[in-house]
Amino acid sequence: MPLPIDQIDQKAVFLNIPYDQEFSSLYVAYIVGLYQLDLVPHLAAEIPGGDRRLDRVFKLIKQCRYSIHDLSRVEVSVAPTATPRFNMPLELGMTITWQILKPRQHTWFVWESEPYRLLRSASDLNGTDPYIHDGTVEGVLRELRNAFPRDNAPTLQRMLQAHHVVQSNLDVVLTNAGTRNLYSASVFKALCWFAFALAEMDRISKKVSAIRK
Amino acid sequence: MRKFIPITVPCAAFEEEAKRLKIPKTRLKVLMTIVEKAKAELFNQDGTPRLTAEPGKSRKRASAD
Repeated sequence: MPLPIDQIDQKAVFLNIPYDQEFSSLYVAYIVGLYQLDLVPHLAAEIPGGDRRLDRVFKLIKQCRYSIHDLSRVEVSVAPTATPRFNMPLELGMTITWQILKPRQHTWFVWESEPYRLLRSASDLNGTDPYIHDGTVEGVLRELRNAFPRDNAPTLQRMLQAHHVVQSNLDVVLTNAGTRNLYSASVFKALCWFAFALAEMDRISKKVSAIRK
Repeated sequence: MRKFIPITVPCAAFEEEAKRLKIPKTRLKVLMTIVEKAKAELFNQDGTPRLTAEPGKSRKRASAD
């Protein structure tokens, strides 16, 4: 059942990303960067259990105006037996279907770490220009600015500063949440709040500076 | 001297976002503390953004010689 337009959160961005330790600084970059651009990230992990995971994911995708699908870690796992990671392409497939059915309700973006890798991993996406983040925090923030251009966007340098502050406080956030799992709902929410607070302080500072002038 | 910009922690917007995210008050208190520290790192005394050459590193003072 399609959602009425007013039930879609126009600032919401569904993050389809790998939940692994090596991705942690890029994960923080997505959260910080989106808040800096006045958007709100959402993660499948934040929805309480009950329904089947796939149902919860689809419900969330439908509520979000945008989605980012980071396929940079779609690869075969090292641990035996080597298994390809299909979750991210699966969720991208669901999103593409949703967007085809309701083109004005959703916009999706594909992120990759290197050019042309997408053509090897998912050649059906030929014609889609992925955002290439080079596997770096700076790359993620830079490409977020390209995907969501804003007149009042903070500088890349400022976004990097905010990321650094959040990243350097990760231990406190994890301890406070009582878990070491960065992708748990409680940690995700704490990171969201932290990133929101930093972005909000910047906005207040800008407003006051404008009044002074 | 420029007047200090009223960026206060906590502020109403912070509380509102915490409510939306359903963050318990005890956890929020700790987060408020780290934001308060971050404020000092990210803003000058007058509330203008503090810009560093490289995030995480403070600006080097000019050498005396």
